[in-house]
Amino acid sequence: MEQRPRVVVTGIGVVTSVGVGVDAFWRALLAGASGISAVESFDTSRYSVHIGGEVKNFDPRGYVERLRPNAMGRASQLAIAAARLALRDAGLDPAALDPLTTGVSMGTTSGEPSLIEVFNDKDLAGNRDTIGPEFIEQYPSHVIAAHLASEFGFAGPNIVIPTACAAGNYALAHASDNIRSGEADVMLAGGSDAFSRITYTGFARLGAIAPERCQPFDKNRKGMVPGEGAAILVLERRDRAIARGATIYAELAGYGLTCDANHMTAPQGDGAARAMQIAMADAGVRPDEIGYISAHGTGTAVNDRVETGAVKQAFGDAAYQVPMSSIKSMLGHTMGAASAIEAAACTLAVRDDRIPPTIHHETADPECDLDYVPNIARQTPVELAMNNAYAFGGNNASVIFRKHRL
Amino acid sequence: MTNRRAVVVTGMGAICALGDQPARIHDALCEGRSRFAAPTVFPADIAPGYHVAEVPDFKAEAYVKTGNVRPLDRTGRLALVGVELTLADCGWTVERRASHPLGLILGTMFCSVRTIGEFDRRAQQAGPEYASPMDFSNTVLNAAAGQVAIWQKLRGINTTLSSGATSGVHAVGYAMQMIRAGRADALLAGGAEEICYESFHGSRQAARLAAPNGVGGPRPFDAARTGTAMGEGAAFLTLEAEEFAAERGARVLARVAGFGSAYDPDTRSATTPSGRALALAIAHALKDAAVGADQIGVVVSSASGSRELDAREGAGIAAAVGTRAPVTAIKSMTGEALGSSGALQALTAIETMRTGRLPGVAGLGTLDPAIKIDASPQTRTVSAKHALVTAIAPEGNCCAIVLSMD
Repeated sequence: MEQRPRVVVTGIGVVTSVGVGVDAFWRALLAGASGISAVESFDTSRYSVHIGGEVKNFDPRGYVERLRPNAMGRASQLAIAAARLALRDAGLDPAALDPLTTGVSMGTTSGEPSLIEVFNDKDLAGNRDTIGPEFIEQYPSHVIAAHLASEFGFAGPNIVIPTACAAGNYALAHASDNIRSGEADVMLAGGSDAFSRITYTGFARLGAIAPERCQPFDKNRKGMVPGEGAAILVLERRDRAIARGATIYAELAGYGLTCDANHMTAPQGDGAARAMQIAMADAGVRPDEIGYISAHGTGTAVNDRVETGAVKQAFGDAAYQVPMSSIKSMLGHTMGAASAIEAAACTLAVRDDRIPPTIHHETADPECDLDYVPNIARQTPVELAMNNAYAFGGNNASVIFRKHRL
Repeated sequence: MTNRRAVVVTGMGAICALGDQPARIHDALCEGRSRFAAPTVFPADIAPGYHVAEVPDFKAEAYVKTGNVRPLDRTGRLALVGVELTLADCGWTVERRASHPLGLILGTMFCSVRTIGEFDRRAQQAGPEYASPMDFSNTVLNAAAGQVAIWQKLRGINTTLSSGATSGVHAVGYAMQMIRAGRADALLAGGAEEICYESFHGSRQAARLAAPNGVGGPRPFDAARTGTAMGEGAAFLTLEAEEFAAERGARVLARVAGFGSAYDPDTRSATTPSGRALALAIAHALKDAAVGADQIGVVVSSASGSRELDAREGAGIAAAVGTRAPVTAIKSMTGEALGSSGALQALTAIETMRTGRLPGVAGLGTLDPAIKIDASPQTRTVSAKHALVTAIAPEGNCCAIVLSMD
């Protein structure tokens, strides 16, 4: 492939159950902290499970300045908080950026589910007429990107890619294309999802929620744990970032997207392997050069087994040499935000040569026989990190980050 | 930007209130036909006097011969039929899809908010243990794209895009860029949206619908317009790299010559409508296509009867291409079909260039004197080599594509 503009990460903003802001988040991940606790945002007494990865004590008023925080749903609030932190981390004043070449690309699974929940509560109570304009104005998923751009005054490309649990990676991939094509110089890209009774109910009905903790790749794993959060990466054209003397975390070196076209909820493996191979070809790297894989690693029996097989298919013998961990063991599954939060972890791993662990990993599973970095963070060279994400609908996305050198 | 691949349209398919064949839909548009009627997909007594443009007596089984459509909701079934018709039109057989991964880029505003709403209402009324696991897999916003990929064996890039009423145009632009960048050789691009209680009632409560509209449709660009009316459907184009299409001997309908998008960050915080963001999006698309504003022979707009949006769209078109090019609007006949509108507009643009007939704007009596464009209720004879498709959404998204036939 001929020379194309390179894209780097110059800022990270995260709002998660283990920490808000890049430093607190990274310290917590390396310490193996858990953000899982009893669900407080709705009554779970009729459910057989009661835990989740909620962001407790989140106050949007510290972050949402231009818009009114109570005129938007929680996913938008979390996203704006992450974006403000990311811009600050990147040393960028939003008012000083060229609005025409600054855009937003966001992933989400559910958009703003609280708005349809309130719609339903009013409808079921016989108060249909009290549903106001807020439903149409604040519910559709694309308002997350709209709110971000309006809050900061950005007039460039603006899109939401709601590809469920792989959405963050799709949004990052698209943002890198926006920069490579010249449509934008700077993109806010990532994902956001708010804790939702709809999502919780669905996974509970699938029998997919673990009762006590999330144990990816452990023989005795009992399922996933729904969570929430947001992560935004500031992506920037490399020459622009260097010219302004920005601190560069990593380069977004390439990506691959595929579809299983096989089953809505059961992963199949071949599509995931193809996404990894396409991403490696796009970045121009070999499997043995990848120093860290951030797994999708939900903690369900099927996902972790199929994912392990897919990595073997894509990496061959090198699969056994690559450390692969799942930070969902700490955060739970933050849905469309998950791969954006994991992308933040990948860029930090590449920067620091440190890998966050898979916590609660106690008993090896013969069907999951790779190196999952059990329980303790590891110091090891990470030249390249691969971020894997899979979703309902058979959507697969792999994004590769490379250590940046001037 | 050197030596980038040209992208051509090799097929199209659509289903909407006006029919299920592009040529017939275009005939209906040229004859000013519409079929607004009382809703049947939700109880009509919710909104006496409000009419919508449903796909009449829609049965997916009439289009797909084998398989069980029961796992798909209405949005999924509309998308399935739209893709089925498109695949038949472009000649991508199932054997060919097995050897060459074909992808799907689907724009939608709500996917199925009816499925989401019903899933939650059942859990709230009967208890979470009564929510349907099968319905849960359709509550994700990429459900339609995932279901269609499974059905049609589409293993390539599978992306759902949401930017509101501009989603379908965004999908075509995204697909064009993916093919140009060499990330795909061929993609289906378009969108799908169903009429349902949730989106209808929400739109009515936000005063977006023309007050009881009887049998007449909305009145785009008219001085006395009072709002839109809901429509539904699915429409897709097959986009292929030019050399790839030539190699397989495909019939070429048009070129997708350029795409541009922009966002109006003041939409949510200011009250003065301006067409600036749309003008920017159009300018980007023209530059991308290397087509001059004076070369645009027809404009197929997204005007829907909205007081504010039609004014903004007219201002944006006038600012970017002047007042000379004939402009049409199809939503007074198709209804506001949200995510599927963009592809319906693109199809209209292609059929207009092919037949030399530009549909008149049904419902347009007296052109709003504040809107300085050449719009007419009369169907006109045109000779156009370049067509512009524009779309604008209330949240601030704007985009445009240039389609060429030269």
